[in-house]
Amino acid sequence: MTETRTTEQPPARQGVLPPHHTKRVMKGNSAAAVAAKLCRVSLVTAYPITPQTSIIEEITSMIDHGEFDATSVNMESEHSVFAALKGASLVGERVFTATSGQGLLYAHEVLHAIAHMRLPIVACNVGRPSFPWNIWADQTDSISQRDTGWVQYYCESSQEVLDTIIQSYKLAEKLQLPVMVVLDAFYLSHTSENVFLPDQSLVDAFLPPAENAGNRIDTNHPRAFGGLVGPNTYDDYNRLFWEDMNRVDEGTNVIGREFGEHFGRHYGAVEAVNIHQNTKKILVAMATITTTVREVLDNYPDIGLLKIRLFKPFPKISILEAIKPAGEDCAIITIDRNFTGDSEGALMQEMKRALYGNTGKVFGVYAGLGGRDVSVETIEKIINLDVDSPQTDEVTWIK
Amino acid sequence: MNNMEPANKFIIQQENMYSGALSCRGCGWTLLARYVSHIMGENTVYVVPACCFSIIAGPNPMNLMKGTVVHTLFAAAAATATGVRHALDRQGKTDTSVVVLAGDGGTFDIGLQALSGAAARQENIIYICNNNAAYMNTGVQSSTGTPSGAKTTTDPSGKKLPAKNLMGIIEAHNLPYYATASPAFLNDLVSKLEKARDSRGFRFLMIDGPCPPGHKHDPEISIELARLAVETRYFPLLESENGELKISFVPKEKRPVTDYLKPQGRFAHLFNGTYSNGIEEIQKQVDDSWQRLLNIQNIASPLP
Repeated sequence: MTETRTTEQPPARQGVLPPHHTKRVMKGNSAAAVAAKLCRVSLVTAYPITPQTSIIEEITSMIDHGEFDATSVNMESEHSVFAALKGASLVGERVFTATSGQGLLYAHEVLHAIAHMRLPIVACNVGRPSFPWNIWADQTDSISQRDTGWVQYYCESSQEVLDTIIQSYKLAEKLQLPVMVVLDAFYLSHTSENVFLPDQSLVDAFLPPAENAGNRIDTNHPRAFGGLVGPNTYDDYNRLFWEDMNRVDEGTNVIGREFGEHFGRHYGAVEAVNIHQNTKKILVAMATITTTVREVLDNYPDIGLLKIRLFKPFPKISILEAIKPAGEDCAIITIDRNFTGDSEGALMQEMKRALYGNTGKVFGVYAGLGGRDVSVETIEKIINLDVDSPQTDEVTWIK
Repeated sequence: MNNMEPANKFIIQQENMYSGALSCRGCGWTLLARYVSHIMGENTVYVVPACCFSIIAGPNPMNLMKGTVVHTLFAAAAATATGVRHALDRQGKTDTSVVVLAGDGGTFDIGLQALSGAAARQENIIYICNNNAAYMNTGVQSSTGTPSGAKTTTDPSGKKLPAKNLMGIIEAHNLPYYATASPAFLNDLVSKLEKARDSRGFRFLMIDGPCPPGHKHDPEISIELARLAVETRYFPLLESENGELKISFVPKEKRPVTDYLKPQGRFAHLFNGTYSNGIEEIQKQVDDSWQRLLNIQNIASPLP
């Protein structure tokens, strides 16, 4: 008998339409576009890049048809996209954009500035790698932004994209931090699935108007923003930033529970499936790979799943809580759809960091980079990794 | 009043700038900021990319200007201003001006793409470039605004190539208003700032920026040099309103460019015979540019 503890149910499994919702079939990108509208975003800047394009196309179309009261500006680069959001957020508008791959990398400098100016901007990234040309699912683009100071959520379904954007504005404006909502290229951005679309009134009740968006510029009380900060005070700003980053793990869980009370779908920083005292191995996964792992677990009662929804800051407290039921000899196997130029994938690095001082062995697999399909067979290969054999490498590349 | 007459009365009756600007002695930036803030008033958001003015405007939380200052990234001035403008408009604050204060590096080079984007989108902002013709804030490295012959720390023998014709690029964007101005011609500067303030759409001003440490001259001759730059036609004063370009000031007599070059240490090597292209080449560039301006002005003039 499989014991399952979840903090979240995908809509297809839940089945029953909650109150104040409409059933729709949506691609991940559509869910992102509609979420921006539901959050009453007032300003969207954009620059096209595959596979993000349909997000900004749908937003500009909704604005053009008078269905979405916002200003959209077609910028000339992603650097300018984020720089314009920085300016608009300082004035106090609730702003949004979406990008992907090279676009996010090109904006890297501005990501730092936005985070350190503590601007509550929410942006979607449809994950794809850099070079040589590849447009398919990969998380290297967003993971290589993990040190910019943005909060990062990785989404599993169109429903989760929609719901996470709504929660992201809540968290961003509460803690004055920017949030990146990541969805996998094509597997999520261009895959249609059932979505329960909440009514506007339901979103309004959960997410009040943008009173706490940036909102720093008051022309009646002129001030300067972002001027030189010397060695005597610079670390004070970083320390305050650090204190708020340390609140994100719990804040995600609090907002996820509150969201559940409004919408009927509960979320957390992580999700534990089938983790109990007899669990032999725990697969740690992010984004769409999680769904495939879920399907395989039914046949493997002693294999658990730890879904990482909040990747940055890495939710150490939630993770330790989630894996607590497992025994000390339970092995951890991380699945990394990213390559950051190191022996260990980013998820493995972070898990080792989170588990430092705890017993149990951490293995890592690289799988699904550049959009390679992570099928049921791939997951079974990972599950069947012989973690007791001294011949098994700590890090494995799995096709 | 003739804008080209010396200003005998104080133009600025009430300062919109605080004292204590962190500029070098003889710097054009501070003088420019005084006149800009005087004309624009307090209901203005200044967007400042990395440049000398990032420092001059004061460290956090100080603010030199009686107005809002948004410091931003080197390449991002026009883009950040775009966001500020649209957000103010969303809040109905259409009477608040958005003014970029950038240097030549942030305008000619790293910020050119954002500048061109904002100009092409006809963003309702004023972009002011204080052109001191090199990366002065980082210690006098060449920009594409650095003119032929000028010595910088990255062109230690003097720059071989002429400066980019930025005003030609600006002209190609079909702006409602653009002009060049000089701190030596204050009434003209004020008039152009007022016209820029009272126009709508993307407006561009390039101001000649004296820089004693960068151009290697005594601070007390900054304004005199700025006047010589105009009188030798080295820095022509021009103005374009709705596509009609006019030269604002035609010097009565044609003075040789050496009158402007010689007092500056950055050109000193031109006068001891070590620069191969020589002064003649610079004079020819100046003459050609002036003739090009005359041609454009003639084409732009309405038929009699």
